[in-house]
Amino acid sequence: MPIEKSDLLQGTLDMLILKIVTLGPIHGYGISQRLRQISKEVLLVQQGSLYPALHRLEKRGWLAAEWGESENGRQAKFYKLSAKGKQQLKKEEWNWNRLAGAVASILQTAQ
Amino acid sequence: MPSWRFSFRKRTLDPQYDSELRFHIEKLTDENIAAGMTREEARRRAVLEFGGAEQIKEELRDVQRIPVLETALKNFRWAWRFVRKSPSFSLVVILTLALGIGANSAVFSAIDAVLLRPLPYPEGDQLMRLEQFHRKVQAPLGRLAPARLEDWNRMNSTFQAITGYYTEDESETSGILPEKVTAAFVAPRFLQVWGVAPELGRDFTPEEQRWGGPSAVLISDRFWRNRFGADPSVLGRKVTLDTSNKFSCAIVGVMPPSFLFPDRDADLWIPTPLGGPYTENRDVTWYLTIGRLKRGVSLQQARADLATVQAQLANAYPKTDADLGVSIEPLKETTVGGVRSSLWLLFGSVSVLLLIACTNIVTLLLARAQQREHEISVRFSLGAPRAAVVLQLLTEAFVLALAGAVLGLIVAGAASKVFEFLAGNLPRVDEIRLDARIVLYTLICSVVATLLCGLFPAIRSTRGNLSNSLAKTGRGQVAGRYPLQWLLVGVQVMLAVTLLAGAGLFLKSFQALERVSPGFDSSQVLTFHVTGSYAETANPRTLAQRIDGTIDALRSEPGVEAVATSSGLPGLARNYEVELRFTDGESTPGHKILANNRFISDGYLAATKIPLLEGEDCRKGFGSQETGALVNRSFANAYLAGSAVLGRHLQAAMSNAFLGPGEIRGIVGDAREEAVNREPTPTVYWCGNGFDPDPYYMVRTRTDPMTMTETLRRKVHDIEPGRSVFDVKLLAARLDEAFGEERLRTLLLSFFAATALSLACVGLYGTLSYTVSVRRREVGLRLALGALREQIIKQFLFQGLRVTVLGCLAGWGLAVAFTRGLSGMLYGVSPTDVATLSAVILLVLVVAGIACLAPAVRAARVDPMQVLREE
Repeated sequence: MPIEKSDLLQGTLDMLILKIVTLGPIHGYGISQRLRQISKEVLLVQQGSLYPALHRLEKRGWLAAEWGESENGRQAKFYKLSAKGKQQLKKEEWNWNRLAGAVASILQTAQ
Repeated sequence: MPSWRFSFRKRTLDPQYDSELRFHIEKLTDENIAAGMTREEARRRAVLEFGGAEQIKEELRDVQRIPVLETALKNFRWAWRFVRKSPSFSLVVILTLALGIGANSAVFSAIDAVLLRPLPYPEGDQLMRLEQFHRKVQAPLGRLAPARLEDWNRMNSTFQAITGYYTEDESETSGILPEKVTAAFVAPRFLQVWGVAPELGRDFTPEEQRWGGPSAVLISDRFWRNRFGADPSVLGRKVTLDTSNKFSCAIVGVMPPSFLFPDRDADLWIPTPLGGPYTENRDVTWYLTIGRLKRGVSLQQARADLATVQAQLANAYPKTDADLGVSIEPLKETTVGGVRSSLWLLFGSVSVLLLIACTNIVTLLLARAQQREHEISVRFSLGAPRAAVVLQLLTEAFVLALAGAVLGLIVAGAASKVFEFLAGNLPRVDEIRLDARIVLYTLICSVVATLLCGLFPAIRSTRGNLSNSLAKTGRGQVAGRYPLQWLLVGVQVMLAVTLLAGAGLFLKSFQALERVSPGFDSSQVLTFHVTGSYAETANPRTLAQRIDGTIDALRSEPGVEAVATSSGLPGLARNYEVELRFTDGESTPGHKILANNRFISDGYLAATKIPLLEGEDCRKGFGSQETGALVNRSFANAYLAGSAVLGRHLQAAMSNAFLGPGEIRGIVGDAREEAVNREPTPTVYWCGNGFDPDPYYMVRTRTDPMTMTETLRRKVHDIEPGRSVFDVKLLAARLDEAFGEERLRTLLLSFFAATALSLACVGLYGTLSYTVSVRRREVGLRLALGALREQIIKQFLFQGLRVTVLGCLAGWGLAVAFTRGLSGMLYGVSPTDVATLSAVILLVLVVAGIACLAPAVRAARVDPMQVLREE
């Protein structure tokens, strides 16, 4: 069953976007495709959530954006990770792993 | 989206949004085509899948928006809710700030009107007061001869014009009863220098300013209203001055109400014509001199210029002009310079008061922030950025400060009325008013107060660790010690001690003044003037007879003990120090005889009760040849020690029409003639009337002098029907007035200091109460475990007093540094007077002890059972 944005934990989408952008400059469409593919169609992110999130991250200085030519020759806006974004991602990943570990261990113990 | 939302960059980014989103839709379309759909179908599906592009764009705009007004409004709404939710807290803060800001604005309005604003004349900063001074003699020779005034005006190159004036109190007799008026006799160019035109009528014509020309007078707005009922057809009517010889002049104009020069009592301005028989005499001292600088000329240039002019005059007239120098000061400086230090002192004190008020509010807000810790951390956890929370906390402080400032303006309005009432003698006091400048200043005060009060608590309370404070339940925590609040309380105590020390020194200085024995007795003495004219000095013998006649008439009145005249009153006389010499042979060579000179009539000793030690009193008559002179004991000791005093002959070292030669006929006791707070100096009393047409009359009575006023007035009217008696006052009251500025400064500083102490105690009380309330549970527990109530009281009392003692010690240090600057304003007490400082600290400790006692006792009254049950 696919998970939509409203089910995602607050802030999780931001972390996922930052992670995907680490692979290299990429446009909004590409990000939504990758999210779907990597999560094996579990995470379906609506464009109505994706673009505001991208712009918010750009405004905070975690993403840098520039216009460039896409693979089919059209103008597209490419996002890439900034130095500040890299730090933020590290922090969020650490937090997430800690939380996930904690949740997992509770679940295991309770079995 | 409401259209009033104020935002930046609302539409400029739209094309970028469009192309970014369009790209996505095109990619989706491509994908669909690849999956085998027709182009139209692929496009339709892509748009459908993408969703509401307009809605997304709106969200993207929201990301970029900086909603300034909206946030501000929201903050104000929240702040208002916060203010209303805790009315007593808000009220305390607002009232504290209203007092602090109000007092500050009131004093600032005085500083602004008196010191900061230019004089109320066009380009008032160009107006200068010019004086001549004698290089060898310390004497008030500042007034100019008409001839020299014209020379200065003609020969200088830095002034637009120079003019002069002198005032006389005259009787005006065109009405039914003689009325005392103050007439200013003015040199040519008078209105030109002021740059003021008559409201009605015209300036003097050149003919009117020439000897033998038509008579003319300008009248004041007040005189026009009181005497002529503001009649617009007043021009051409006559004013009659009847003091010496009947002298009528035609009214040519009415001055505007704002023109109050030489002072607010001036009624008439009358030209003194050029070319008269007196104008060539270079020895007379008539005019107080005013000049208007040319545009762009500096004070230094003007001084250098006039020095050159006077040097040329010294060559031309070596006999009269060789030893004269010129001093030039801005008119504003000579008008208000004397009160500058007092006003800045008050402003400093009142600013310290505001600082204490703000510190007090900081402690209140800090305590409050601790209670709101939970609320703030919840807002953080909901994603509010720190700046937004700080801004909101500041807005709360600003709303409080603004309310305080508005109330403070009302306080300032009332306070400046009180100030004007108390400081009636202050120069320019009638220019004090609350206007836009003061409102602006008050607003700035409130912003500064916001930052002082709000910034620190806001930053501090938003710094805490989020999860940490969320985890606290508020009940389980162990109470902190709040070092910061206590530090602030200590600072308040310190500042209060400093202000109290200043006030204490002033009070002590006043007490010392009251204990001074001035060498004369000012009680039961009535003083007044009888109008006289300088024209009378042309015939000094007649003048002396006239005044002696009045004295005799007054003496014949039952109930009168003694009557005398004097050119200056004891305790209020200007220092008139001149070098003298003995005309009969040897005085110690190389030993300058400098003495203060006073002019008195016979009976002066009886009127003032200055004791005659040796010899005899003044005689009646004219000129010191006939009447002789008296010297005080200091003079005899300083210049005639070991030799005969009586019978020696004295006169001024330089030729001087007033000073001798005369025989010393008596030695009198030392009196503080110059001022009650100045030591007596060697003084020569020159006897006789005839030099001063308008001396002070002094009448010592056996009963209450004020009840004799009408009797004496009638007596003068009987023998001199054309003259008026005016300026009737008790000598004691005049001496009192002489210390008006000191009294005002003492009164206000004491008031500020008392307020500061109360505020510091409120701070102490509040902080201790808060500590007690937070530690209730701990106290309950200790009581349950067997602690004694006395121990609890002692512990809290000591906590408060320890801070007070530290504050006092710091205050002591600050006071010693601060009061050093007061040394010029104190009399009979050292600025570092240990007794005063100790008394102040004792006072603070006692008051602080009382403030601490209530919360400490409340702590000990905690019921252990109840506290434990609350758990």
